[in-house]
Amino acid sequence: MGGLQKKKFERGSATNYITRNRARKKLQLSLPDFRRLCILKGIYPHEPKHKKKVNKGSTAPRTFYLLKDIRFLLHEPIVGKFREYKIFVRKLKKAYGKTEWSAVERVRENKPTYKLDHIIKERYPTFIDALRDIDDALCMCFLFSTFARTGKCHVQTIQLCRRLTVEWMNYVIASRSLRKVFLSIKGIYYQAEVMGQLITWVVPYQFSHDHPVDVDYRVMATFTELYTTLLGFVSFRLYSSLNLVYPPKLDSNGESEPKEESEDDYAMNSESYLEKLSALSASLARVVSSADEEEAQLDQFPSEGEDMEKMEAREKELKQQEAQKKLFEGLKFYLNREVPRESLAFVIRCFGGQVSWDKSVCIGSTYDVTDETITHQIIDRPSVGKQYINRYYIQPQWLYDCVNAKILLPVEDYFLGVTLPPHLSPFVEEKEGDYVPPEKLKMMALQRGEKPGNEQEEDEEEEEEEGEQEEEEEQEEDDNGDEEDDEEEVAEEKNLKKMEEQRSQGKSLHVKVTPGKLKVENKARLEQEEKAEEKRLAIMMMKKKEKYLYDKIMFGKKRKVREANKLAAKRKTHDDAEKAKKKKARK
Amino acid sequence: MAAARRLKRVAISQPGFLTLNPKVTPTDLVSSRRKRVNKNKKKNWNKYSDVQDVEEFLEDLVNLKFCFLCEEAAEPVKGKKRKGKSSRPLRIDLILQHDSLVAPPKDVLAYQKPNAKKLRRTAERAEKLAAKGVVPRSKKRLLNRTVVDRTSKKTETEANNNPERDFYDIWGQETKDLGEPWYLQQTRKKLVKRPEKLNEKPSVLPAVEVIAPGGSYNPDFFSHQELLREAHEVELKKKKVEDKLERQLAYNKADTATEETILREQVEGLVEESEEEEEKDAPKEDGEEVAVGAIAVADKKTERQRKREKAEKIKEQQRLTERRQTEQQQQLFQLRSIKTSIKQQEETTQIRQKRRKAKEEAQKAQPRRLGKLKFQPQDMEVQLSDELAGSLRQLKPEGSVLMDRFKSLQKRNLIEPRERAKFKRRLKVKYVEKRAFKEIS
Repeated sequence: MGGLQKKKFERGSATNYITRNRARKKLQLSLPDFRRLCILKGIYPHEPKHKKKVNKGSTAPRTFYLLKDIRFLLHEPIVGKFREYKIFVRKLKKAYGKTEWSAVERVRENKPTYKLDHIIKERYPTFIDALRDIDDALCMCFLFSTFARTGKCHVQTIQLCRRLTVEWMNYVIASRSLRKVFLSIKGIYYQAEVMGQLITWVVPYQFSHDHPVDVDYRVMATFTELYTTLLGFVSFRLYSSLNLVYPPKLDSNGESEPKEESEDDYAMNSESYLEKLSALSASLARVVSSADEEEAQLDQFPSEGEDMEKMEAREKELKQQEAQKKLFEGLKFYLNREVPRESLAFVIRCFGGQVSWDKSVCIGSTYDVTDETITHQIIDRPSVGKQYINRYYIQPQWLYDCVNAKILLPVEDYFLGVTLPPHLSPFVEEKEGDYVPPEKLKMMALQRGEKPGNEQEEDEEEEEEEGEQEEEEEQEEDDNGDEEDDEEEVAEEKNLKKMEEQRSQGKSLHVKVTPGKLKVENKARLEQEEKAEEKRLAIMMMKKKEKYLYDKIMFGKKRKVREANKLAAKRKTHDDAEKAKKKKARK
Repeated sequence: MAAARRLKRVAISQPGFLTLNPKVTPTDLVSSRRKRVNKNKKKNWNKYSDVQDVEEFLEDLVNLKFCFLCEEAAEPVKGKKRKGKSSRPLRIDLILQHDSLVAPPKDVLAYQKPNAKKLRRTAERAEKLAAKGVVPRSKKRLLNRTVVDRTSKKTETEANNNPERDFYDIWGQETKDLGEPWYLQQTRKKLVKRPEKLNEKPSVLPAVEVIAPGGSYNPDFFSHQELLREAHEVELKKKKVEDKLERQLAYNKADTATEETILREQVEGLVEESEEEEEKDAPKEDGEEVAVGAIAVADKKTERQRKREKAEKIKEQQRLTERRQTEQQQQLFQLRSIKTSIKQQEETTQIRQKRRKAKEEAQKAQPRRLGKLKFQPQDMEVQLSDELAGSLRQLKPEGSVLMDRFKSLQKRNLIEPRERAKFKRRLKVKYVEKRAFKEIS
């Protein structure tokens, strides 16, 4: 019973956590500096499981950090720099106050600066780690590069962001790794596949900013500071992986040389280089010339069974991807001045198209409107003055839809003044039984290589099929495609039955030898049947509990199908109503 | 002053004192009586002050100097003022001129080099070696020396956000080992290793959450309706909260004060005062009685009672132990039911564990409470059917990407939700009308 009395809050979770204020005092930093340090080092607040224990009996909401994290922060060399910076600010203020301009200059010259290279290396030990975390960096850089240079943040930061984003876009173009684009009301979402990683980022529309007031710009700027460094190192690595020169240089012997004469109108010499790069119209210089580049062949491994199937699927996918990469190859686009130039140029170049625009819109246009070889002119106004007969005049959405559909869609739906089909999100992946909008169905049919002429019927057929599925049992789903064969079998059986009846009645049969019909065994069908049989047996063998679960799942699926059907029907009625309206309007 | 002079006199009068002018004996200097004059006039200073000794001293000095320089120079310097043209060369220069007809002998040493032969040979050898391509050792050492980077200071001062900054392959190059690990650690040159746990992300949510398909600039009808419905539900929830607050703050209209109630309140206590007091007094007395009755005196137990209680206690204990024993024996026969009950218990714990795990998983995607404020999700970006633009050109962007990014950071527990600091005025503002305004108004 003896021993010292245990004191409260001296062991356990109370000692594992530290409040923000105490951490700040331990590091001898001001709150903004502390916050900045935490962001740069990747140390985030932590919510303890038992707040009352950690908070020494109080339930007041506080920000907690793990004590070990803070201890780790104590070793950071940047902390010293922060303190130095504080002194620097104090000295500068003093010099200003005394109006000693020479002193101001001197102090300014010795402004303490720091680098984040070691933090990047520490936080992302390998390149792939960095690549996985690049989404945020891209979003932030694209966002900051669109800011007006009016003092919300440093102009230099904006310039750096712009440079990095241009480098990134050039990389994506060079590697042809763009996969999806989605125009939303908020901004444009892009998705690229870089070294096997899917990277998504969002780009705001140009000039769309009203600066929200309840955003902490200082925090955002700190994040950007870290992310610019990260993005820079990542793009260096990416460029070197493609044998491209970093910092990027325009290919001097490329056939699409931007015109030199009117450069001075756009930018000063110092800036024109970045501007030309950001025009995205020319290809980049390589360390090794691109001629000796080889197409990577997928290695063939001997494999069996399921692996084979997987391999085949993978190969097919790869082939599709290759085809998608060359989607716009051989096409020549011309952008009118009212369309978003950068986004469109980026998308077109990503898939191998050639693009140009009016000289007065931006630097780096490669050919004029009068060029006879232009195949598509992107236009977003109700009418044009002079039309060339050998090119399509289409709306910008066509490009984005083509990219998402991975094929060249028919241009008829996107002509001038035509009401556009809806722009579907490529980020939605429908599961089995979900409602699929008819536009998407049409697109999928096109992808399969079917002709757009009989799409209507096909839709209906599919709907019918779905209807049948609802009523039929699960195991019979598979064989509703070939009903004719079934009928034949039924007829034969009837014949046999008749014969049996006759025999049982004792009548002599008029036996005849008829030439036998060759029974064509449909292999695929047999396989299917076998599978269905197996499935049915498996269901029969299920335990009661599992059976219950299975039934539940099937019920859920059916319900989903029913709902999807309902939606489809609704849509049909909606479309019919629209059509009727249009007809009326025409009349 | 007087004291000083006296001292001087005393010093001079000493027998061993040597003056600078040997002609003047110290005795007559002191003894000769001088005429007394006023010394506060400058005229008198010039006339009567005895400057001879000073002048003589200066002369001596000059003589001495010239003696050292050359003996001939001693005589002409004697204080005579130069007359005539200044263009004539000075006599001293003439004297110093070289007037001998015999040429001075050649300085052989100027043409001879010590060790000339050796040097020549070494040079020749060096040349030969250089022709062969052999670098001398001294040069080699110089070349091998690590170059002190003069530009390092410049790169150090380069700001972090410099748009022209250059990047390098940070993951490719191996870090150079500058020395012993122990030394590096002690001198704080080596960075502390980052704990692995810090590389885990505080949330499982993706960095970029793509907007629902209804958020397309030209959406499909149904997905748009879906988005609208969601936004509508959010709004409904908000309205509900607001309504609830209003209801809680509402008061009964009948409770408001009318003239009558006010009057009654004012008159309260003036009318019927006596009756109420009597009523009040009555219960008070009752209370006092109750209080008195509550104090009870406990009786002392007798010996017999105590013994009986003890016996009862022991009996009870015995009974309980017996019962326990029989129960344990009985359990042998209940093995099956015990097993089933254990099984049931295990099952329930498993179910609970599963549930807890699922809850934890769900929690991972939820924003945590990291500070004073709770995470407030962003308003949903939605365009009503009549706001939708027909084409990309007419599109009016909704919401802000900046806000979206900021909220995403908060949602993923990277930063705690905060409110903008409110400006608090510490001192009151005093309103003063300026005189110029006052005259007009």
